[in-house]
Amino acid sequence: MGSFGFWQPIIIFSLLNVILTSGLYITALSGQLSMATAALAGIGGYVSAVLTANFDWPFVPAILVAAVATAIVGGLLAALMVRMRDFILKLTTLAFGEAMSVIAFNIPYIGGANGFSGIPLYSTMTDVVVVAALAIFVAWRFDGSQLGLASRAVRDDPLAAACNGVSVRQVRVTTFALGSAVIGAGGALSAHYVLLVTPSQMGFYFSLTYIIFLLFGGLQSLWGPLVATVLLTAAPEVLRFANEYRLILYGLIILLVILWRPNGLITRRPLGPGGRGPQSGTPSDIAFSGSRGSAAVDRREVETPIGTASD
Amino acid sequence: MILFLQQVLNGLIIGSTYAVVAVGFSMVFTVLRVINFAHPDIFMVGMFTGLAAALHVSDNIVVALIGGAIGAGLFGLVLERLVIRPLRGRDVLMTLIATLGVAIMAENGMAVLKGPDPLPFPALIGLTQFHLGGVQIGERQLLNFALSLAVLGFASWYVRSTRFGRATRAIAERPDVAAAFGVNVDVISQITVVLASMMAGVASVSVAVLYGNAWAFAGLLYGLKSFVVMLVAGNRYFEGVMAVALGLGVVEALVTGYLSSSLSDAVAFFLLIAVLFVRPSGLFGSYGS
Amino acid sequence: MSPLLEISDLHVRYNAVPAVNGVSIVIPAGEIRLILGANGAGKSTIIKAILGLQPAASGSIRFCGEHDLLRLRPHQIHQLGIAWVPEGRQLWGTLTVLENLRMGGFIERDAARLQRRIDELLQRFPRLGERRNQLAGSLSGGEQQMVAIARALVSSPKLLLMDEPSLGLAPFVVRDVFALTREINAMGISVLMVEQNARQALKLAHWAWLLETGRIVVSGPSAEIAATESVQEVFLGGRA
Repeated sequence: MGSFGFWQPIIIFSLLNVILTSGLYITALSGQLSMATAALAGIGGYVSAVLTANFDWPFVPAILVAAVATAIVGGLLAALMVRMRDFILKLTTLAFGEAMSVIAFNIPYIGGANGFSGIPLYSTMTDVVVVAALAIFVAWRFDGSQLGLASRAVRDDPLAAACNGVSVRQVRVTTFALGSAVIGAGGALSAHYVLLVTPSQMGFYFSLTYIIFLLFGGLQSLWGPLVATVLLTAAPEVLRFANEYRLILYGLIILLVILWRPNGLITRRPLGPGGRGPQSGTPSDIAFSGSRGSAAVDRREVETPIGTASD
Repeated sequence: MILFLQQVLNGLIIGSTYAVVAVGFSMVFTVLRVINFAHPDIFMVGMFTGLAAALHVSDNIVVALIGGAIGAGLFGLVLERLVIRPLRGRDVLMTLIATLGVAIMAENGMAVLKGPDPLPFPALIGLTQFHLGGVQIGERQLLNFALSLAVLGFASWYVRSTRFGRATRAIAERPDVAAAFGVNVDVISQITVVLASMMAGVASVSVAVLYGNAWAFAGLLYGLKSFVVMLVAGNRYFEGVMAVALGLGVVEALVTGYLSSSLSDAVAFFLLIAVLFVRPSGLFGSYGS
Repeated sequence: MSPLLEISDLHVRYNAVPAVNGVSIVIPAGEIRLILGANGAGKSTIIKAILGLQPAASGSIRFCGEHDLLRLRPHQIHQLGIAWVPEGRQLWGTLTVLENLRMGGFIERDAARLQRRIDELLQRFPRLGERRNQLAGSLSGGEQQMVAIARALVSSPKLLLMDEPSLGLAPFVVRDVFALTREINAMGISVLMVEQNARQALKLAHWAWLLETGRIVVSGPSAEIAATESVQEVFLGGRA
């Protein structure tokens, strides 16, 4: 189990996923939790694959074009969704992802159902490491930048942000496009490693994986999701020793970690009074018993809820 | 014309199963405010407990159905207690992920136990075809349809005319106020999950009889479609969910009949995009939007 | 004899922000008592804390001298005999008027007894009787307030918690609501009311507290409170 040959694909896949998760993190920071990550990655993959395989483009320009193309698509999607919030937004991205998948399915030029193959193997370990480092760097710098701050403002309270002169539309479109560019680049790299891009890998199920990485790690900082990405990508491979039980173990691990850390693996304490924690799911949480569950709850010891006060 | 009617009929039958799964899924979402990703796996477990009942207890269809309902119901009960309830009040996506973990465990667990390929399901109902003026419908399809309608009818009666059903609607609309008027939200939530699970269990056995097999990954197809149906219909009136599910079945069948069967899966998603652009809270509205 | 409701040194916080800051209140059986205060003063928070819908940082709330409400869940608190008329009515709009009343009497398992109680109430509120099968969401503001009050009465509570009953209602409707409250009290039901509409509410209540940013600043029989200068200026529009 110790040979480098065993670990290399695991490392590469983990890093590829890290790139995609970083891109998702960027879009999620502005409150747009995109369920179309895999679809966008697929677009990046198809674009760069066609450029290199059919038009003999060199690798780096192909990746760049792929990133830009994905950014444009992402930006357009975000522009369409400017008025949407929360649940509806997530759904629209979901539907968009599926639609992209079906469209790809029906275009014979890029291979239709069987996908596009014959892609040259350009991605090396070095390439992947470099791009992953770049992606993390971009996400990290974005996090701390003015745009990152504006994004968080738009996520938490679009109305207040607008009143403070932030163009909600611009912030959302920009962050989505930026995140999509990163995702597109990741998709391109992946295409030139796996040597195949198919419509089925663009579906909701795969996009969900990245959401899981994000939430698993906790939405409050970049590092949690990145750690989660590596752990959760490597886990099924590492669990290979368990043979047919490995997916069962995988599911069990996911379940147990969520139950143990329901706010995500790595959380950050809210900054000062009124700092917001992860968004609570429903407005009326008190009617439900919460984690105590037993009949006699002493409400003095329960944390006060995070959310808006009524009076 | 005959083709049209035949496909409409086929579509209604498929749609009726979508409806049963979607209504259960929707009930749980509306009342507990969680997306139970493992609902399709509750469906699947029902299929296998029904299979066990058919093989080891009796080859009476009723026994298989009861076996399915009990197995699915128990799974739902355990899931609610151990996974859904502890995560109440957290981000709904956390419960989604946790139930996804359960779904992965269930599907692969069943694949390990019983093999990843479909298992034959005993022929508890015959294969007689009935002809009504040019269209044909099989005995099994008739059973499927009748059962689905019966289950949906029961659910509708429960929600509209019983004390607990009323309380369920009250929780869906305003959980705090319901609790303040004496409703034990935990208990009703549990009952809701068990009910939704048992409904799925009955539907799954009926589907297993229809297609003649039970399969560890059977839930996936119904799961995704039910999710779409719930979103398109909005969760305010579950008659709306029923209508959309039946409609989806019919449109899919028509697309299969007149265009191609591979496109029929895409129908659901295009429908979703189309409806959500125009009415973001679903065709018939949703609570709390 | 112990008071019906006794709140001692209640502290409620939202994150680090205190909403209720050491409030102590006593309600003897049979009275109408009033908490006055501006928006954000903490009035609704106190009501929610009593009902079990809001956790507290410290303090205690005792009902009939025995039950510590902070240890109980909302449905158990209702079973003790406390009913709620929420701010903004909060009826179940997708349920009919009759269904709303039935839900008000959820803890009554005897269907015949429940029906009798509802019939009584529908006689007292004939306009609701006419609209019994209408969806509650389709009624006017004043009618909804009547449904909300009737709903709270179905379970024959000992204590009624009324949260800003005058909110959003026309003045003549408010008069009716307050007259109704007096009638309810005369039947033996105690009332804790929270209000911004000081003038009319002070005429109704026996005793009042003035709440300002989570603390009680004035307390006394309502006639005295009405005559206090600060209350006059802030709420009653200047010196009388």
